[in-house]
Amino acid sequence: MHRARSPFSWPLAILPLLAPLHTLNAEPYIPGKALEADYKSFGADFIEYYCFDCHGDGMKKGDLSLDDLGPVDETNADLWKSIWAQVALQEMPPKKKDQPEALERIQFTDWVVHELEDHMEDKGGFHAHSSPYKGNFIDHQLLFGAPPKGIKLVPTASPKRIWRVTPLEHITRLNELINTEPVYNPRTPGLRTHGDAVSVNHGGELNLYFGVDRINSWSGGTVAYATAVKSVPAVLSVPHKHGFQNYAHFSAVNSAESIQILNKAKDILKYMAYGPLSLVKYPEQITDDPIAYDLFKPEGDDRGLPSSITYNTQSIRPDSPIQPLLASASSEINRDLLQQAIIYLFERLAFRPPSQAEIDHYLTVIDDAVENVGNEEGMIMGLSSLFLDRDALFRPELGQGGEPDEFGRVMLQDWELGLAVNHALSYLKPDSELKNAITSGRMKTKEDVRREVTRMLQDDSIRKPRVLQFFREFFDYTTAANICKDQEALNKTGLKLKPEEFRKKMINEIASTDRLIEEVLACDQDILKNLLTTQQVVVAPRNEALYGIKKSQPKSTKKSEKTKQKGQKAPKTNKDLLDIKDDSPEEAREKLQQFHLRKYGHPDGFHPAKYPALGGNQIYARVGYRSFGRQSLRPNRLLVLAPEGQRSGILTQPAWLVAHSDAMDNHAIHRGRWIRERLLGGGIPDVPITVDAQLPDEPDSTLRHKMRVTREKYCWTCHEKMDPLGLPFEQFNHIGMFRDQTKSPTDTSGAIIESGSETLDGSVNDALMLITKLAISEHVEQVFVRHAFRFWMGRNETLHDAPVLQEAHRAYRDSGGSMQALITSLVTSDAFLYRR
Amino acid sequence: MTTRRNSLKSILGGLGTVTFGSAVSPQLSQAANTLTSYKGGPKRVIFFLQNQGFDPKTCIPTNMVNSGSLASAVLPEPIKALEPYKEKLHIINGLHGQHTSPAHSAFFGALGGYRGGDGMPPSAATIDHTLSEVLPETLLPHLCIGMDSLDNMAAKPTVAKLSARGAGQPIFMHSDPNYLYQLLYGGISTGDLRNQYEARSQMLETIEALALSEGAHLPIGEQKRYREFTSGFSEMNTLRARLEQASSHLQAFAPKVDSRYTNPEFETDWHDILLDLGLSALKSGTTNVLTIGSGRGEIFGSWKGLGIEKQGHNLGHMKQAGNPIWDKIRSYNVSMLIKMMEELESVPEGSGTMMDNTLIVYTSNNADKQHTSGKTWPVMLLGNCGGAFKTGRFTQLDGTRPINALYATILKAAGQNVERYNMSEKMAERYDSGQGVLREIIA
Repeated sequence: MHRARSPFSWPLAILPLLAPLHTLNAEPYIPGKALEADYKSFGADFIEYYCFDCHGDGMKKGDLSLDDLGPVDETNADLWKSIWAQVALQEMPPKKKDQPEALERIQFTDWVVHELEDHMEDKGGFHAHSSPYKGNFIDHQLLFGAPPKGIKLVPTASPKRIWRVTPLEHITRLNELINTEPVYNPRTPGLRTHGDAVSVNHGGELNLYFGVDRINSWSGGTVAYATAVKSVPAVLSVPHKHGFQNYAHFSAVNSAESIQILNKAKDILKYMAYGPLSLVKYPEQITDDPIAYDLFKPEGDDRGLPSSITYNTQSIRPDSPIQPLLASASSEINRDLLQQAIIYLFERLAFRPPSQAEIDHYLTVIDDAVENVGNEEGMIMGLSSLFLDRDALFRPELGQGGEPDEFGRVMLQDWELGLAVNHALSYLKPDSELKNAITSGRMKTKEDVRREVTRMLQDDSIRKPRVLQFFREFFDYTTAANICKDQEALNKTGLKLKPEEFRKKMINEIASTDRLIEEVLACDQDILKNLLTTQQVVVAPRNEALYGIKKSQPKSTKKSEKTKQKGQKAPKTNKDLLDIKDDSPEEAREKLQQFHLRKYGHPDGFHPAKYPALGGNQIYARVGYRSFGRQSLRPNRLLVLAPEGQRSGILTQPAWLVAHSDAMDNHAIHRGRWIRERLLGGGIPDVPITVDAQLPDEPDSTLRHKMRVTREKYCWTCHEKMDPLGLPFEQFNHIGMFRDQTKSPTDTSGAIIESGSETLDGSVNDALMLITKLAISEHVEQVFVRHAFRFWMGRNETLHDAPVLQEAHRAYRDSGGSMQALITSLVTSDAFLYRR
Repeated sequence: MTTRRNSLKSILGGLGTVTFGSAVSPQLSQAANTLTSYKGGPKRVIFFLQNQGFDPKTCIPTNMVNSGSLASAVLPEPIKALEPYKEKLHIINGLHGQHTSPAHSAFFGALGGYRGGDGMPPSAATIDHTLSEVLPETLLPHLCIGMDSLDNMAAKPTVAKLSARGAGQPIFMHSDPNYLYQLLYGGISTGDLRNQYEARSQMLETIEALALSEGAHLPIGEQKRYREFTSGFSEMNTLRARLEQASSHLQAFAPKVDSRYTNPEFETDWHDILLDLGLSALKSGTTNVLTIGSGRGEIFGSWKGLGIEKQGHNLGHMKQAGNPIWDKIRSYNVSMLIKMMEELESVPEGSGTMMDNTLIVYTSNNADKQHTSGKTWPVMLLGNCGGAFKTGRFTQLDGTRPINALYATILKAAGQNVERYNMSEKMAERYDSGQGVLREIIA
């Protein structure tokens, strides 16, 4: 006892052996339940007993006094939020002081959250506890150990909700309407196929491309191509740039986005109906003989203009009723065809068939539009409204049609359940087997879900981009291309790179890391351990130096080609082409063939690159091949062993290292924080606003030396949990190259502290040693399972989810570290199946 | 400008008392007692927020420490182009925003005067929207434009980070001039285009009805989020109706569309066009409140068109004073301020010009620097609004009055009987040493 108790604490204190000191109610406590208590009757007692030794009665340790704290209100909300974080993370009370029992701590932090929610409701609300960044605020031991005394858990469920589609899902959904993706080929895994997510383009943007698979020539270089082709960017936004980006409560659709979706819908419908004809200025641009168009088109520099492009005559866009419907728009509208078009479009946008009422509604919308603007424009305008249907933008999980069980939970069923299962793995609409299961009443039970998930997981031809997306968000390496490297900092690495060149390298590296993850997933054994320790690396052409690997690609044959063509006077530019107007048709054609041979490698114009046959360690990575002419983002990769002792899994990939660096140097704090949160399950309180979080500007100092400022007592409380985990990565420079210790010795020491596992704590010599320790830890494995839970449930875990997490971890371990087993366990859990 | 005013007056008369968005904010409940005897005051207000902070050293006149006249003062290099406009200028240092969490950006808190943060929804209306509700009614009460890198503006043509019409009700900034042009001047059409316009209007109303019916049975917690979706249609439909009625009047003010709209060389091409569109909306009387977010309230931004290769977050890590990069950005801002003043001076209004009745508020959404606690929050005001504001001065405050006090002062000048803005008495006990308007600023 450190101080006199306040009067209202005495009644509790007389029962010290029967109950924790500052708890409420004799009944077992249900975590998360609102407490019937106010500041005076509960909060103040906890604060005075546990905090006043240092922060009350005139004491102001750390310049913080809680003497005048008072109940939660708008003036002290930030302070209460900080108190909540410190107590939840067990930072406070300090270890050497009396500690609240688990029940006390849970009740107090729950009470603070409820108070903040209540009092801040009309002031922007309090949402911090729902953020994925705060997922670890629940004590790991409480989730994977026995529930503490006095706690009562109830069967879990997720809230009833509508879940907005992500930009990536949306673009992939729309892409299905206008582009035909290649069928999955087991001989070339990694190449983008039907069902994979749309990849970012050469600049890192997520765009929807129109008709580029039919392009057979254009004017100018790759930049001109990129400018000339038709594409539209993603319009939906996500609030987070790091970590999990798709909790169910994150996003809605605003008016500006709705307008853009409508505009985009019109373009898509026209392309569905008319193909590239909807993109060109002259019908002559649709030709298998680009030379003929070169002879036809008006003189002048057309680089970068849509009129510079020709498309072949092969129709490869998906067939749809939109095509015959609009083709016959000049005559009376075929009502059957119109209804088919509505059903076709609705199923591809909302992933379920429309009800008759929905069909009738859209028929009315179309009829009204037709009356105003005629058949063609009216049908396009009316059909575009389907793109804004609620279920085209949100996926409902409302428990429709179900009866509540004894715990007030409703199990999802039929279309809601089928679409939830489908969404767990895929961005496409349910395949025919899943659709049959839903419509025949075989999507109602846990066993139904297990059957479908098992089938989908075991079939490689059913692409599962959501699984890769989990790892992208878990490891957080996709921001590597967004780190704008400083030119001088790049120069110091010894690679002669401009920042933009480096950015392109990183786009390729992100695709390589995607592929490495898929290589590990293909074995489906010891997934986390292998992801953290694999010695293999996936190397893109021209990125070998990042890995210290000598180039293995055949040297360019450009020189020999040039020698071969020496003496020939093929036109080099469009300007040269003007000369052919005075030539005879034969002479003109010959010159143009030479020109196309030089430019596209084929006398008839552009031919998409043919992928070499699979052999040796040649593999492929998924890149956005539609955005740049001649496929400047090439999918070819080499799967090789890294130089001995230099790499260990994803955390040593350049993409991860760069994503956790800054413009000038490594970022040991970001790296350390990532390990603390994603592997150790710890949390770091928000940075106080009084902290000017900058390292000294000392270009010639090592990062470790510059980070001496974080060792000041005020900073070190948090930084001791991050810096020693991040500094071992000084083994690599800031663009992810291994530092040769014999040439430039670097201090790579570090330590794991307060991990929650005694076997983990201790010093490490370097990053590889650190990773090895983490990779074999059961504690780390459990934290990984917690993150998988968050991703697939779209929310943070609660104490009531403990049985789900324990079962998922058991499934993972019992299966030898199978990701499929982990996903199956999660997707068949009560947290996934039930809504409350 | 009798024609312009009469034209709009008749349009608005036809619309009756239609209001756009929510009712008058609760914090202005006492504003019903409008100061009818008040003379002068702004008829329109422009907020210009440059991100990454506004270093006081880049705006406080050389060798000036205490408050005083700017008459013989020398403006620092980044704002020296304002020398000819010193009689319209009031430089203020020493307001604070410590309660807004302005490190990196206060986001909605910068114009709201409340706690803000990345991903945090607005907790109340922001001053620009509040003013749009109390200034003379216009077709589009409030227009926000956001300037960023070309890639970002194209990929994300709208973002909402600075302005709000209430708690949880963000207002989006327009960054793609093509979309903004369609929004402002789409109603200028006849014949087939007119039919298309009407068909689209009818379709949007039907979509809105369906969306509302689909949201009727959602859980309460989800309804709020879904309402953002449905209210989007309502906004579109209301605005369309209002702009449509004013189309013939607006035609004279529509900027000429040129190749920069579709083929900008640099992001600054679009920045310039966005400014032109914003100005045209002010000059035509379409709006009375324009918010410009240079950097869109975030920590990024790009100005390659000024010859600045660095972009994004790195710009915020640099010191601004004496930095050629920041001199260029600030000078570019100042050139925009001058353009606004000159264009508004070219439009007659009453016995003077539109500029005589316009207040321009130039500041940052980051207070004084990127990593800041908000102890000082420099602001420049341009325009005296018929003598309502003191101008030609530098004022150094003592750091105990919050930015909310400035916003209350502007509201007071706009005829509202308010003592505080978005600050309860309890908050004021901690964060405001005074009460009511800033006497140093208001005449």
